[in-house]
Amino acid sequence: MGETLLWILPLIPTVTALLMLTTRDRRIISAIDVGGSAILAVLTLVLASEVATGGPRVLGVFRLDDLGLVFLLLLVVLTLAVSIYTVGWFRQAVEVGNMKAESLRSYFALVHAFVATMVVTILADNLGVLWIAMEGTTITSAVLIGYHGHQHGLEAAWKYIIVTTIGISFGLFGTVLVYAAAADVMGGAGAMSWLAIMKIAPTLDPGIIRIGFIFVLVGYGAKAGLAPMHLWLPDAHSQAPTPVSALLSGILIKCALLAIIRFQTISAAACGSAFPTEALLVFGLISVVVATPFILVQHDIKRLLGYHSVEHVGIVALGLGFGGSVGTYGALLHVVNHGITKALAFFCAGAAIARYNSRDMRVIRGMFPVAPVAATLIMLAVLSLAGTPPFSIFVSELLVLRAGIGQGHWIAIAIFLAMVVVIFAGLLHHVGAMAFGAPTAAAGREGEAWSPLVGMLLLAAIMVVLGLTIPASFDGLLQRATEVVVG
Amino acid sequence: MSAAETVHTIIDDLGALLLFTMILIVIASQISRAIYAVAAQSLFIAIAGGVLAMFTGNVDLWVIAGVTLAVKAIMLPWVLHWVVRRMNVRREVEPVIPDAATIVLAVAVVVMSFDLSTSLGTVRQAITGNALPVGIALTVLGVLVMATRKTALTQMVGLFASENGIFFTAMAVTQGMPLIIEIGVSLDVILAALVMTILVLRVRSTVDADIADLDRLRG
Repeated sequence: MGETLLWILPLIPTVTALLMLTTRDRRIISAIDVGGSAILAVLTLVLASEVATGGPRVLGVFRLDDLGLVFLLLLVVLTLAVSIYTVGWFRQAVEVGNMKAESLRSYFALVHAFVATMVVTILADNLGVLWIAMEGTTITSAVLIGYHGHQHGLEAAWKYIIVTTIGISFGLFGTVLVYAAAADVMGGAGAMSWLAIMKIAPTLDPGIIRIGFIFVLVGYGAKAGLAPMHLWLPDAHSQAPTPVSALLSGILIKCALLAIIRFQTISAAACGSAFPTEALLVFGLISVVVATPFILVQHDIKRLLGYHSVEHVGIVALGLGFGGSVGTYGALLHVVNHGITKALAFFCAGAAIARYNSRDMRVIRGMFPVAPVAATLIMLAVLSLAGTPPFSIFVSELLVLRAGIGQGHWIAIAIFLAMVVVIFAGLLHHVGAMAFGAPTAAAGREGEAWSPLVGMLLLAAIMVVLGLTIPASFDGLLQRATEVVVG
Repeated sequence: MSAAETVHTIIDDLGALLLFTMILIVIASQISRAIYAVAAQSLFIAIAGGVLAMFTGNVDLWVIAGVTLAVKAIMLPWVLHWVVRRMNVRREVEPVIPDAATIVLAVAVVVMSFDLSTSLGTVRQAITGNALPVGIALTVLGVLVMATRKTALTQMVGLFASENGIFFTAMAVTQGMPLIIEIGVSLDVILAALVMTILVLRVRSTVDADIADLDRLRG
């Protein structure tokens, strides 16, 4: 059963995407959208319970272990939330003319094709398949980023496709080097399988693995939004349609992190764990520091959230860099927490943008009187993003911090803490003004539609629960995933 | 001279030709010259694949060589030429930094590539001739072209050159990646080129500008 599901899983979004092309009726499109995402989520839960009881599942080039499962669960939850959110969102977007009714179905088909490529990225055991799927995510999402068709969207799409394609060219080069090292030991057959490479990893030539890892880290790091390769990220996140922004920030950049983690484990086994963790630490620190000033001076709400993703990817890299079971556990938990919370923040921002018809935070004022639910949710999301207790991100940031203290990285911790405090103040300043005060004249007064709200509430509920307690089954999953990384 | 030595010599010669075409791309002042250079480069890579296939008897390498010839030496350059005609390009290659500086950087990259690969240990012996440093140099120089040119088409040429470097490395280092992976990678390159072409043409039709020139998104 589990093995069969491994190849069915990527087919679900693929079939959903193809079905989209068969109809023009908006209601049917929405039904297929939500239905496809729901089936994907249910099947993933079935697979998750099988992996939890029976260990990793393997089928050809696909393999699902606990590490991949963490990312897969995040992906399906976000896809479902995005589908529910989109039902109401696109109606509004068509009304104001942001989306053209005749090209709607290609939009939905692309979203599901994008999801399918991400599913393959997560399931891939073969490092070549991983790369192909990763380039697939670039191609599908580049079209989505430029979907609105105006000049800025196209500019963002171009920057995105160029920067990330350069990036993952480097990733492919690193993959080839690792493959060469593995083929040298075990012969060509199977030398691209992560599992097979891990078995012989201690015997690999450390010199070539070291160069390979640097290429992979820079390459997939560009896709993950690690500074200084993050240049595409704020543009793409601000120009993409809001549901796509949520997917980009919530899960796409995490898929790239998963790829980095796969190579990190190979590299740690071949050249000792100190080398990859130090490299991750450096990129993590640069990301946290680079993002901060841009967050402070930002007026565009979606750009703000984009730069903020750079900071949080940096925090995940720091967690992996501090290493040990605490740091890795914290990093993986942070992946989930940030994915859920950032998608929620994008949803709220999308609702605000639709209401005020502007992305400028100086225009979006006084949300509480006109949209009380969305305003409450955006305050909660931002409090969580800023790292306030009792929200989930506070927990994972604390774990990352504890790992750093345990390893005695005092300078890194000092920089990290300083930046987190500054960003905390900056975020609350920006969003406090958006939520409170008197609404500007631009504000729409219509009631809040149910569909965006249900998607938002779903994510908000998960965010709050993960802040208060980590359910035992999820905790077990994270611990087993940590063991995959740390060994 | 043994067969292995002959192959080493041929691969080394082809490596030199690859570097030469790369330099032509770096210094090309007209976009069509850069396209011809990258087509020639892909042709040399296909030949390298054929030579290795003959020597090793690896059938997969024949397929890879054929795909490289069809896709990279013929199809993609043809598409690029078509776009050049379609867009009626009045401007040519516009460097961000002076040509002289680009050439100095390019030379530095080549020297560093050779330096880096001499520092590698045991795996190096499994590699045919000087393929690894040439592969690294092509990959990085392709990126250099993308970073130092302002027009979209030149950036695409840089991308193809960069992919060529990776393919050459894979061929010479490991007699090619598994066939299915190579084909998947080629497919991705075609799709990426397609999407880029669409983006370029869409920008050209909405505002009369080169997509790589747009710089309204800042800060």
